[in-house]
Amino acid sequence: MTDDEERTILLIGSGPIQIGQAAEFDYSGAQACRALQEEGARVVLVNSNPATIMTDPEMADRVYIEPITTEAIAEIIRKENPDGVIAGLGGQTGLNVTAALAEEGVLDEHDVDVMGTPLDTIYATEDRDLFRERMESIGQPVPASTTISLDEGEAVTDLTQEGLRDRVDAAVDEVGGLPVIARTTYTLGGSGSGVVHEMDELVERVRKGLRLSRNNEVLVTESISGWVELEYEVMRDADDSCIIICNMENLDPMGIHTGESVVVTPSQVIPDEGHQEMRDAALEVIRELGIQGGCNIQFAWRDDGTPGGEYRVVEVNPRVSRSSALASKATGYPIARVTAKVALGKRLHEIENEITGETTAAFEPAIDYVVTKVPRWPKDKFDDVDFELGTAMKSTGEAMAIGRTFEESLLKALRSSEYDPAVDWADVGDAELEADYLETPTPDRPYAMFEAFDRGYTVDEVADLTDIERWYVERYGRVAEATQAAAEGDFTEAAIKGRTNAEIATAAGTTVSNVETDVPGRTYKQVDTCAGEFAAETPYYYSARKPEFLRGPLVGDAAAGELEVDRDVESVVVVGGGPIRIGQGVEFDYCSVHAIRALREAGIDAHVVNNNPETVSTDYDTSDGLFFEPITAEEVADVIEAADADGVMVQFGGQTSVNIGHPLEEELDRRGLDCEIMGTSIDAMDLAEDRDRFNRLMDELGIAQPIGGSATSEAEALELASDVGYPVLVRPSYVLGGRAMDVVHDDEELKEYIEEAVRVSPDKPILIDEFLADAVELDVDAVSDGDHVLVGGVMEHVESAGVHSGDSACMIPPRSLDAEMLGRVREVTEDIAQALDTVGLLNIQLAVKDDEVYVIEANPRSSRTVPFVSKATGVPIAKLAAKVMAGATLDELDVDEQIPEQVSVKEVVLPFDRLPGSDPRLGPEMKSTGEVMGTADTFGKAYEKAQSATSKPIPTSGTAVLDLTADEFPDPDSEAAADLVDGYAEFFDVREFDDLHEAIRHGEVDLVVSRDRDALEVAVEEDVTYFSTYASARAALEGVRAHDEPIDVQAISDRPKLRTDWGR
Amino acid sequence: MSDAYLALEDGRVVEARGRVPGRTRGELVFTTAYTGYEESLTDPSYEEQVLTFSYPLIGNYGVRAERFESERVHPRAAVAKEFTDDVVEWLTEEDVPAIDHLDTRDLVTSIREEGAMKCGIAVGDDVTPEDAKAELAECKGMSEHTDIGAQVSVDEVQVYEGGSEARVALVDCGAKGSIISSLTARGAEVHVLPYDATPADVSEIDPDVLFISNGPGDPANFDAATTLVDEFVGDLPIAGICLGQQVVARALGGTTEKMAFGHRGVNQPVRDLRTDRVVMTTQNHGYTVGEPGDLEVTQVNVNDDTAEGLENPDLDVITRQYHPEANPGPHDSLDFFDDVLDMTRSDAEHAVASD
Repeated sequence: MTDDEERTILLIGSGPIQIGQAAEFDYSGAQACRALQEEGARVVLVNSNPATIMTDPEMADRVYIEPITTEAIAEIIRKENPDGVIAGLGGQTGLNVTAALAEEGVLDEHDVDVMGTPLDTIYATEDRDLFRERMESIGQPVPASTTISLDEGEAVTDLTQEGLRDRVDAAVDEVGGLPVIARTTYTLGGSGSGVVHEMDELVERVRKGLRLSRNNEVLVTESISGWVELEYEVMRDADDSCIIICNMENLDPMGIHTGESVVVTPSQVIPDEGHQEMRDAALEVIRELGIQGGCNIQFAWRDDGTPGGEYRVVEVNPRVSRSSALASKATGYPIARVTAKVALGKRLHEIENEITGETTAAFEPAIDYVVTKVPRWPKDKFDDVDFELGTAMKSTGEAMAIGRTFEESLLKALRSSEYDPAVDWADVGDAELEADYLETPTPDRPYAMFEAFDRGYTVDEVADLTDIERWYVERYGRVAEATQAAAEGDFTEAAIKGRTNAEIATAAGTTVSNVETDVPGRTYKQVDTCAGEFAAETPYYYSARKPEFLRGPLVGDAAAGELEVDRDVESVVVVGGGPIRIGQGVEFDYCSVHAIRALREAGIDAHVVNNNPETVSTDYDTSDGLFFEPITAEEVADVIEAADADGVMVQFGGQTSVNIGHPLEEELDRRGLDCEIMGTSIDAMDLAEDRDRFNRLMDELGIAQPIGGSATSEAEALELASDVGYPVLVRPSYVLGGRAMDVVHDDEELKEYIEEAVRVSPDKPILIDEFLADAVELDVDAVSDGDHVLVGGVMEHVESAGVHSGDSACMIPPRSLDAEMLGRVREVTEDIAQALDTVGLLNIQLAVKDDEVYVIEANPRSSRTVPFVSKATGVPIAKLAAKVMAGATLDELDVDEQIPEQVSVKEVVLPFDRLPGSDPRLGPEMKSTGEVMGTADTFGKAYEKAQSATSKPIPTSGTAVLDLTADEFPDPDSEAAADLVDGYAEFFDVREFDDLHEAIRHGEVDLVVSRDRDALEVAVEEDVTYFSTYASARAALEGVRAHDEPIDVQAISDRPKLRTDWGR
Repeated sequence: MSDAYLALEDGRVVEARGRVPGRTRGELVFTTAYTGYEESLTDPSYEEQVLTFSYPLIGNYGVRAERFESERVHPRAAVAKEFTDDVVEWLTEEDVPAIDHLDTRDLVTSIREEGAMKCGIAVGDDVTPEDAKAELAECKGMSEHTDIGAQVSVDEVQVYEGGSEARVALVDCGAKGSIISSLTARGAEVHVLPYDATPADVSEIDPDVLFISNGPGDPANFDAATTLVDEFVGDLPIAGICLGQQVVARALGGTTEKMAFGHRGVNQPVRDLRTDRVVMTTQNHGYTVGEPGDLEVTQVNVNDDTAEGLENPDLDVITRQYHPEANPGPHDSLDFFDDVLDMTRSDAEHAVASD
C-alpha cells in the first residue's frame, strides 16, 4: 500500500528558531523527508526558515521557503495537489497551521488527508478540561482539582469567616490536602495564582480570588510541585503496536519547564515497578487518544512509600517534539523517521532499525550509558531579564552529553553548553548563595551546587535547598570532592568524574602532559540502541574514561575502542557549532552539514564532533563518524587521534569551532599528530580579529575603514573617542554576536560603558570606531580557493549602522548600489580574500557612504548569512568552501555566480515576548534568535512576506501611533518625518494618546513606531506590531503599500536567477 | 594493585574494584534492563551464573524486600560499572561477591561475540589474578549442573490462597514470586510443588492446571517435570513459562538447544503471528526451543525468530518463553495468566455442554 503508488505528501516545517522551538524540527523534518522518499512518496516541503537543512533544494521534491500561514500554504496546496499533510513534524507551528487549514476548509476542498495523528486527538490534548475528562474516563490519575464558587446572587461579603473556611476545607480535602495551587479563573494576566502551604493564607487567597474573579470562581488544584518530573517517549503504529522509546527524568523538580531543566536519560531514581506503571499508563493514554507515530507524555512521580510510588499524568504532546529529538539522539532510535513511515501506514516491525541493521523498529531501546541534557540560556545578552527558571521557557538551545556515569555525563554536558556563570563566588556570602543560587533555580545553579560543596555544605543541606533528588545531589558532591582532590595533586578521580586533563591541569597548576600520563585515557563506545546485545553498524560514538586501573592515554586500537571508522582512508573531522544561542543559530549547523556532505561527495570520510541534540549534523547517518562530545581542543584532538584523521575543519561551527582553532593547533602540535587544520590558516583568522594587524593590512591594500583603534585604558579610550569624534561605536575586541557593543554619544556615556559593560584592561582592549551614520551597510559572503573568489551574494541591510548586523533585516540583491559601487565591493572582497590567503569562506561587512566603501569587519569563516545567500541565489557556498578546503579549485568545481531576479528579504525573530523585562529596541547588541525569508518581485512585498513569516504581520489598516521623538528618527518637524507620517496616514488612523500604554492594553492600537522602551514593552506584552527604527518603519510602509501584490508562492528552484557575476 | 579480579574463559583477567569480598565462579551473562536490579538479583533463573548489568549504575533507588522475587540472591556474583552502597550492603548480608569499576560494556560485547562464558571471581584485600583463575578452573558449564533444581525449588508443597477460580499445580523449578502472585491475583489457589514432584504428588492436589515454572540451566536436567507433562497432557491444561516452555516442548516431542548468549533484558520484542501485534517482554534464558514437537509456534522473537509462544488448543497447552509476570519489565503480556485460567474454565463449560 505504501510503495505501489506515488503519493504526494506535504510536510510543514516549524519556521524560525525561537525560544521554545529550536533546531529540533529541522532535524525531524529532514529525517522525515528522507523516510518518506524512501517509501516512494513525493515530498513537498514548506518552511520559512532559510537557515535549515530541510529547505535545501535536494531535501524534498519541491521546497518552498514561504511564510507558514494559511494563505501561503493554501496556495502551495493548489499548486502541488498533495494527497496528505503530516502535521506532527513541524512543532506547534505545524500543528496550528494544519488545524487552521482544516478549519478554513482548505484541506477538505483539495482532498488532503491529515496523516498520522488525527486533529481531534490534537484538540483533546490541548484543551485542559477535555484532556482531564479523557484521562479520568480511562482511570488515569491527573492532578486533583476542584472549584470554590459563590452561589447565585451571593457576594463575598455575605460569607462568614467560618462559612468560607468550611468551603476551603472541603476543597482542600477533595484534592488531597495542603499544599495546593489556588488559581483565580479569568483574571487578567493570571494574577493571584500560586502554591499555598498554609490554611489561613489559603482562606485569604480564596476570599480575594472570589472578589476579583469575573465568574466568582477559584480553582484549587493538588500541588505536585517538588515531585519528580518525567517524560515518556512513545511510538504507536496503526496495528496498535506500542512501544516506549525511553523515559527522561528531569533533575529539576515539577514546576520548572522540562525545556529549562537538566534532563537525564534513562530515569535514575524510579524503581522498576513505578517505571512500569507509568509505561503502562503511557501506552494506555496513547491508545485512548489514537495517536499514530511519536508522542510525548509527562508524568509527575513521588515515592509515597509503596514499592512503585505514585504518579500523575500531567500532559501529552501528540507530536514529535524537542524531547523526541533528545530521545532520538539519546537512544539512537530515529523517532521522526519512524513517525513518518507510520503515517504512511507502515507497521513498526516492518521498519528496519538502521542502527543494528538486524533488528526492527519494533523494540524498546536499551541503553548502557547516562545521557544528560543541559539547556543554554541567553543570560549574557539580557541584563534586565530575571532568569529565575519556572514554567515558561527562556533557554534558546541545549547541549547533550553521554557518559558511563552521571558525573561524567553531567560534566561533559556542562562543558558542551559553553556557559560561564557571570558570578564571582568570592563575592557571594553563604546566605546569598543559599537564597539566590540554590533555592532559586537559575542557569547558575549547577555551579552554585559545586560551590556549596566546596564550602562544606552537606548533601542533605544542598538537597533541601534545591529540592533536587538526593541521588543527584550526592553526585554533584562527588564531582566537587574530586575537583578539590585534583587541586591537591590526586588527579584520577577528577578524570574519571569527567574533567578534562586541561581542567585538571589548571586546577592543580601543572601541565597537561603531567596530568595525561597519570590518569586513565579516553576510549570510544558505540551508541547502539541495544546496550551491546547486537553488533551495531552505525558510526555513532561517545568517549568515556577507562577505569582507574589504567593510566595514561590510550593509543592505536585501544584509543579507538569500538570505532569502526576506516583509519586507512583519507578522513576529516568537522567541528560543529554546539548549542543554539543568540549569535549562533541553526545556520552553523547548516554549514557543518554542508561541509560533511561536500567531503563525502569528494570521497573523503567526514566525521563530526558536536553536542547539540537538536541538529541534523548529529543525526547518525549524516557523517561517517558522529562523535557526541564537548567541543574543546583536548576532546577534538582525541577524536582526531582515535579516528586517525588527516584534517580538521574549524571554519563551519561558528564561534564555537573558531575559538578552538588556536588551542587545537597547539594540542595537535604537542601530541605530534599529523593532522592539518584545513583552509584559511588560524593565523589569518587571528589577523582578521586583531584590530591593529588588520588595520595595517587594510592600509596596505588601500581599503577604507572607519577611523578608530583600540584602547587599553579608560584615559586612552576617551582620547581616542575625541580624536574620532562622537558618536562612536565601542565594543570589546573579541566578539560573539556583538556582545556588549554600543553606540555612545559623549564622554559620560563612554565612561559608563567602560564601567558597566566591559572593564577595559591591557589584555582586554576595547575598540572605538567612527560611527558611520546613514551609511548603507552590506554583508558579503564569498568563497576563495586561494587564487579565485566566488562571490556568493551581496546583501544590503535594512537597518542602519546602529543595529547589529545579526538583528538587521537584509535583502538580496542590494538596491542602493549602482554598478560602480557593486564593482568596488567585489574588488574589496577579492583583495581581502587574497590578503588573508583565504581558502574557504569569507564574510565581509561593509559600509557605503558618499561613494566610499568602508570595511567594518572581515571574517574568513562561515557566517550566519551563508544559508540565506545559498537559498536566495541557489549557489551552495558552504559546500563549495569545504570542497576548496579539501583541495579542489573553483575552476574544477565549475560553478557560476548567480544573481536572483527577485528580491529576497531575511527578517529576524526576536525573543522579547518570552523574556519579560527585556529591552525591545533594536540596537548594537544582537538579540534575535532566528530568521525567516520572504521572496517576491518587489522589496515591499518580500518584506511584508518576511514580516508575516515572523508571526508579526504588518497590519494594513487600523490605528497607528508614530512617536518620532527619539534621535533614531528624523526630527519630527522635518520633511522626512512628515513623509513618514503622511505615508502611514494613507492606510491608518494616525493618532496620539494621552496614555499610550493604556491604549495599547485596551487594543486600541494596531501598530506602533517608537523608541520609547516602556511603550514598546507594552506592545510586546500585548502582541502589537511595532517598529523601533526609522529604517524598519519605512520598510514596513513599503510593505503595506505592496500588500495587494500577489503573494507569489513559488518553489525555490523555480525562482528566476541570472548567471552573472556580482559587480562585474 | 586492585582488590578484585575477574578471570574469563577466553584467558583474560580483568581488574576491578571489590565491593563484596569472596571467591566464586559461574557462567558470565548480562542483562540489558536498566531498572529492576532487585527483581533480577532475586530471580532463581540466575542460579550458578554471574550477572553483569549492562546499565552502568545499579542501586540508585535503594533496596526494598517487597520488590524481591524470591528469598535470596541467586547469581553467584554481581558485576556492574558502579554499585551504590545500598546494593553493596545487601549483597554483603547475602554474602554474594560483587565487583565494579570495570568496563562492563567490554564484557558485554565479549559475551556477545564469544557467547556466555565461564568465569572466576576473587575479591578481597590479598587476592591475586591466580585466585580468580583457580575459581575459573573449577567452573562447570550450565548443563553440568544436573541437580540445579534442588538448589532453587521448595522442599515441600506450599499453598497460596488466591480464591477458588482454579487450582494451579505450579512445579517450582525456580519460580519467581510474581508468577505466584499473578495467579493468586486472578483468584487462583496456587500449590507450589517441588521440582521433582511425582505424578502422584500432582494427582493428590487434583489441580485444574499444571504449570511448569521458570528456572535455571538446561531443561534437559528437569526430567521429573518432563515426566509430569508427559503424564498429564490431555487430561489437564498445561502451562509453562521460560524453562517451563522448554520442559513442556521436550515432553511433547520437541527439542531444546543452548543459545550463544541468550536473551536477558526487559525489551525483547515478541510478535504474535495471529494478530501481528508486537509486545515488549522480559526475558532471561540461555536455552531455547528448537523443534516445537506437538505444539504450534504462535509467537516469535522479532529479532531472531526464536519461539516465544507455543500452543496446542486441542491438548490445552499454552507456554511462553518470556516472562509475562514481568517484575522486572513491561506488563504488556500479563493477560497470559488470564489465558491460562481460561483453559480451566473452558474445560468446565465443555464438561457442562456435553452433559
